[in-house]
Amino acid sequence: MSRKLKLLCVFLLSLFVAGLMIGDSSVEAAESVVKIGFLGPITGSDAAEGAAARNAFMLAISEANKSGEFPFKIEVIEVDDQSTENVAVAGAQEIVSESGVVAASGFWNSGPAAASIPVFKEAEIPLLIWGAIRESLTNEENVPYITRSAPTDKQENIPLAIKVLDEMAYKDWFIVSDVSSYGSGNFNAFKAELSARKITPLGEEQVPEDTTDLNAVVQKIKASGAKAVYCGSTVAIGSQLKRQLFEGGVKDILFCGISGMKTEDFLKIGAESAEGTLVVSPGVILEDTPEGSNFIKLYNSQGYSEPIGAFTPYAYEAALIIINALRACGEKPTAEAMVKAILDSKTTGIMGTTTFNKIGQTENVAAYLNVVQDGKWVPLEKSEYRQGGKLTFGGR
Amino acid sequence: MDMFFGLAVSAILLGCTYTLVAIGFSLFFGVMDVVVFCCGDIAIFGSFAIMGAYVVSQSAGLFGIFPFWVCVTLLILIGAVFCAAWGLITHQLSIKPFQNSSELMPLLSTIAMGTVIKEVLGLLFKPVVNTISTAFDSESAVTVVSGRNPQGFPSLLLPGGTVDARHLVIIAITAVLLFLLFLFLNKTKIGMSMQAISQNKELSLMTGINVSRVIIITFLIGGVMLAISGFLVGSYQKLMSFDDGAMYGAKGFSAAVVGGLRNTWGAVIGGMLLAFVEVFVSGYIPRGTAYSSIVAFVIVVIFIVFKPDGIIGDKSVEKV
Repeated sequence: MSRKLKLLCVFLLSLFVAGLMIGDSSVEAAESVVKIGFLGPITGSDAAEGAAARNAFMLAISEANKSGEFPFKIEVIEVDDQSTENVAVAGAQEIVSESGVVAASGFWNSGPAAASIPVFKEAEIPLLIWGAIRESLTNEENVPYITRSAPTDKQENIPLAIKVLDEMAYKDWFIVSDVSSYGSGNFNAFKAELSARKITPLGEEQVPEDTTDLNAVVQKIKASGAKAVYCGSTVAIGSQLKRQLFEGGVKDILFCGISGMKTEDFLKIGAESAEGTLVVSPGVILEDTPEGSNFIKLYNSQGYSEPIGAFTPYAYEAALIIINALRACGEKPTAEAMVKAILDSKTTGIMGTTTFNKIGQTENVAAYLNVVQDGKWVPLEKSEYRQGGKLTFGGR
Repeated sequence: MDMFFGLAVSAILLGCTYTLVAIGFSLFFGVMDVVVFCCGDIAIFGSFAIMGAYVVSQSAGLFGIFPFWVCVTLLILIGAVFCAAWGLITHQLSIKPFQNSSELMPLLSTIAMGTVIKEVLGLLFKPVVNTISTAFDSESAVTVVSGRNPQGFPSLLLPGGTVDARHLVIIAITAVLLFLLFLFLNKTKIGMSMQAISQNKELSLMTGINVSRVIIITFLIGGVMLAISGFLVGSYQKLMSFDDGAMYGAKGFSAAVVGGLRNTWGAVIGGMLLAFVEVFVSGYIPRGTAYSSIVAFVIVVIFIVFKPDGIIGDKSVEKV
């Protein structure tokens, strides 16, 4: 074969391959795609919650895609907000600037959620909050664009207050939180519960979020004579405070708090000091319902390295609500149609039936208490710390 | 009285962690006239290196072969190698190229280097540690989570001992390190050369001191000090985050400024003073923890304005 002929063959083959590739991409381009944004702290101090929530959200979307029910593929634009407001806003802008985005679900931290809400409102793209609990995130100004399937800080603190203030009757309190909007929201919510029962805390402290040395707070708690400590913070502050209290000799005390502490990291970092910690979790005990049990099986079968956290079911539920809204919007969903479809949706998922009230807040409110027993989180009613059980909380 | 005593102990321990980072600032500033802002990040890298090496050695079964203290010493040495390497990289990439530029340039470039160190940690900690760890035994290997996530520091200081004993060891290690540093700076030729350069660089050059060599040795020693600092910070705090370096850097720098940036003992006094202010503001002022760092930094600003040479710093006189 002459050199010229060889060159011609190579040229023709190249054209053929290029043609195949163009043809292939045109086939891909023909496939209809609907895009959904997901935002959460996938790395950083709250990664345990954020990464597990991401897994659950993606799992629900993947199941919907596999079902073949939709004439389009649902694609997720995943954004790691690192629990940081400016990163979250940049992520929100990335999502709304992408063509084909019809809805987003996001946020475990209230600060990043509050900072990003204007971005979604301006772009008129609905945002369904799966984990941020500051009460003011859902309001008359934000509806219909902003809805929330998770409970508010007030809704989370009420069941804890009923248990520890009314049933267990602790009176001598020291309350601690971080200065973030999440911490402050919980701090104020629990303080309001104390005030409603005419209890004045013996001491209160709000610490910067990056505080690692809480020994001064430990000394204050010790000096106050408090029998119970409320920590309205996340795992970083909660686990450090519990450990440093334990190491500082403050062992005979009730240590309770909010769902932000209910992670595997709390058990690892707190180690033996974590024993007896009582926290409130939003939602229902998954193991007690067939839907919840199926979700646990499905999640665990995926081999994720992040175990199910307090808000993991809410992220899954948020995906189900969006999928349900897509269903209602027909073959060509738009952001405009999704705004109404989400707000009007009625979705029965793993935690019951979720509907939204007139300000976009879920009407499906449930919570239960968990305690650390033998290095594991156990629902209080199934633990030895339950009324009549073999173990008792400190400070009695 | 119990509360006062408890707060004092907390302050001393916190002061130990600030002091060692502050000494890094003092050493580098003394010899180079440069504020190396990535000291905190290097120290945190050291603690992560120790954590990573611990996980790998667990997977390799080293703790069953050698005595515990030998393994811990090895882990600290590994941390020291990494920190010394970062010290040298900082010198070569962030300081040396700007020797004849405005003094702001190395300052800014060391801030940038701090970001590099932090991001390298966030990105590479998990893949590197887990790759090495699983190479020994893929089934029972111990692994770590992403470098960007909080990490529990292993119990390497008296794991079976009481908390008080562990705290005493942290104070004792800091004291021994300070004593060794004192001996090194005052009794060895290199140490005295470092002091000579700190006092008068031009004169040191004229007397035949190999300034470049002394600078490199300073960065090596500073790196080792920062690694031990990272180890003690980890052992005390028990929870480490890849971005803690900025906070420790700011506190260490503040301590060095308050004490006297050129003076190693100034770093000790400054570190302790800052820690005492923070802890006692937290302890005695209602809801004071939120303001403790603000009060500490106000003190730093007061020193910068009214006593820029620090508590025991040399008064600099410039003749025109």
